[in-house]
Amino acid sequence: MTVCNFFLQGRCRYGDKCWNEHPRGGRGGGGGGDYRGNQQPSRGGFGNRVWINPSQRTGGDYVQPSSFSRDGNNDWSRGGGGGGGGGGGGVASRDVKSSDFSFSSQNRFTALFTLMHSLRNQDTVQKDMEVWQTSGQWPFSCYSVLPGRLSGFVEVSPEELRLEYYSGRASGDLQAYMNSVQQLADQWRSRVQELRTMSSSTRISISELKNPGSQTSAHEFGSTASGFGTTSSTSSSSSTGFGPGGFSSGFSFAPSKPGFGASNTQQASGFGSAFAQPSSGFSAAPAAPAASAASFSFAAPAVENKASSVSTFSFKLCPGGSSAAADVQSSASGAFGGAADTGLFSAHSDLTAEELKEFTAKRFTLGQIPLKAPPADLLVV
Amino acid sequence: MSLFGTNTGFGSGGTGVFGSTTTDSHNPMKDVEVTSPPDDSISCLAFSPPTMPGNFLIGGSWANDVRCWEVQDNGQTVPKAQQMHTGPVLDVCWSDDGSKVFTASCDKTAKMWDLNSNQTIQIAQHEGPIRTIHWIKAPNYSCVMTGSWDKTLKFWDTRSPNPMMSLQMPERCYCADVVYPMAVVATAERGLIVYQLENQPSEFRRIESPLKHQHRCVAIFKDKQSKPTGFALGSIEGRVAIHYINPPNPAKDNFTFKCHRSNGTNTATPQDIYAVNAISFHPVHGTLATVGSDGRFSFWDKDARTKLKTSEQLDQPITACCFNNNGNIFAYASSYDWSKGHEYYNPQKKNYIFLRNAAEELKPRNKK
Repeated sequence: MTVCNFFLQGRCRYGDKCWNEHPRGGRGGGGGGDYRGNQQPSRGGFGNRVWINPSQRTGGDYVQPSSFSRDGNNDWSRGGGGGGGGGGGGVASRDVKSSDFSFSSQNRFTALFTLMHSLRNQDTVQKDMEVWQTSGQWPFSCYSVLPGRLSGFVEVSPEELRLEYYSGRASGDLQAYMNSVQQLADQWRSRVQELRTMSSSTRISISELKNPGSQTSAHEFGSTASGFGTTSSTSSSSSTGFGPGGFSSGFSFAPSKPGFGASNTQQASGFGSAFAQPSSGFSAAPAAPAASAASFSFAAPAVENKASSVSTFSFKLCPGGSSAAADVQSSASGAFGGAADTGLFSAHSDLTAEELKEFTAKRFTLGQIPLKAPPADLLVV
Repeated sequence: MSLFGTNTGFGSGGTGVFGSTTTDSHNPMKDVEVTSPPDDSISCLAFSPPTMPGNFLIGGSWANDVRCWEVQDNGQTVPKAQQMHTGPVLDVCWSDDGSKVFTASCDKTAKMWDLNSNQTIQIAQHEGPIRTIHWIKAPNYSCVMTGSWDKTLKFWDTRSPNPMMSLQMPERCYCADVVYPMAVVATAERGLIVYQLENQPSEFRRIESPLKHQHRCVAIFKDKQSKPTGFALGSIEGRVAIHYINPPNPAKDNFTFKCHRSNGTNTATPQDIYAVNAISFHPVHGTLATVGSDGRFSFWDKDARTKLKTSEQLDQPITACCFNNNGNIFAYASSYDWSKGHEYYNPQKKNYIFLRNAAEELKPRNKK
């Protein structure tokens, strides 16, 4: 089959239905090429993911059928139908090397889908938690919202618990059993409550859910912080999933992320928001309950994709630029208020004059985008 | 009156005999009660295979024992034999010729019980409690498959103390089913693995679970040619997923349905959601039965995607169920399943096993 040129550029309209061949693992910065204009492919290996274009909102209709309650979810895991699933799934399944930019999914809608899914995920999670609390169902179970699973839940079957009880009873020491059950119950209760109230940290963890697989990527991510493309040595799929996520994560992860510099103004503003959103989650992460924190900080295995959805989220929100960014920021900042934002923002004194100027300007100047986090008070609310 | 095999309203005949009082809700369906039920919760039930004449029922319980009853055509149950383990028995199964019963227990061993001689010998050893046990009869080999909480799946030739094969699983085994040449194992953390058993057992595919919560039970169903084609997976969240292995149209063919919930149509008050404790497929009709922690059993037709019947609520959860080899008898066990923790455990409460005529109620709906 002939290789589809449009697919290589990330522009194939037919996606899986295309009659030409869509080589997997062969997508370089092509995906980013379209929308990023002056973006060098190498730079945003994953940043390229950002090519999501607000105008593609129409693609949103495409996603409707695969609603959560049905097994349209299967499409997700198969990476065929839903774009997000396609993006996440398709991406995750590929073995991406650090320098391989093929993270970009086969169609341009992926980022959009992941975004929409992350939003829907949050609602689903909240509803599910509410139901779980009120329905009296077995509490010691894992929980997942496709395509990933939420951490923080201990999985114990009734039989295992019962066996513990019987052993305790036989040995005469039931107190240990009681204590452990109590502990598990408390842990569950707090985790459910936290997910139900959907703080910013949990929001991030949920959006990060997108990418099952590749755990370690998170680490690489944070540590290397250099070209996203390079980070993902082992992370392969996760990184890919991280594409856009990687982008924002780069940001939120704070100061020095190259991604920052790499973006153009458009993105930058998106950044602001992306920044806000994930950062809050970020900073909140350590402060927040262990579970979410773990999942959050990219280090979280189960959580990959969140970053991607977050980023797309922010991008989605800033079609025009700063204004939208501002909106996002406001909500994010609000969330911030609650977050332990100790490491999140820079103090004014930490920034050089140029950086300060950039932050106070309406738009970032290409090439001079600060690598440090903005001061909290400069965020437009 | 013949209880099994004909369509007489056996309820009319049997009620008086089996002590169902008017206000007692332990047997609201007025089904036949098995005599001498175990003293603690029944974890598993298994009927004898068709290779053996008559119907024999084996039940394993948390009282560390395995009991055998003969179920006669008139509905009488006669206790035949009993064997003990040193820990609660979690699963039982028959060999294909009906001469041996395999039992798996929390004492990390599995035993083979020769019914003719009423002797047991240990045939398997794990590092953790053995949760599932199944007999595999392949053209070129036969073995016992045990799934354990030690995250391994082992295959045993009953003559050797070492396993023929040991497969590593990602997590603890929670439930499994075998219909040659397919085996499905559902593990903790929503793991779902399908194995193919031809030549030798090997992992066929890992499936992303269609359910959001802990897996509780799984049962394989067959297509019209009697080949295993998919499975039904139940979770603690009152939901069952029907999943085909290679469907023509996965999005449409695979589906989940809610069951064992209270407040069916009333959305105002929060629903109570109960775990699905066991799933069994009718050997002839292909319809399925689910039993849950709410103390009800339900019959479903998965092809017509409809519910056939839901029972009245028993006063205890239903922990196990199974059909006999020709599909005329449906056995279900009423005992506590620990779904509400130790506070609701009453060791004095009697446990029951009921037998119901399943010939009529499980006929599939005519549709499509």
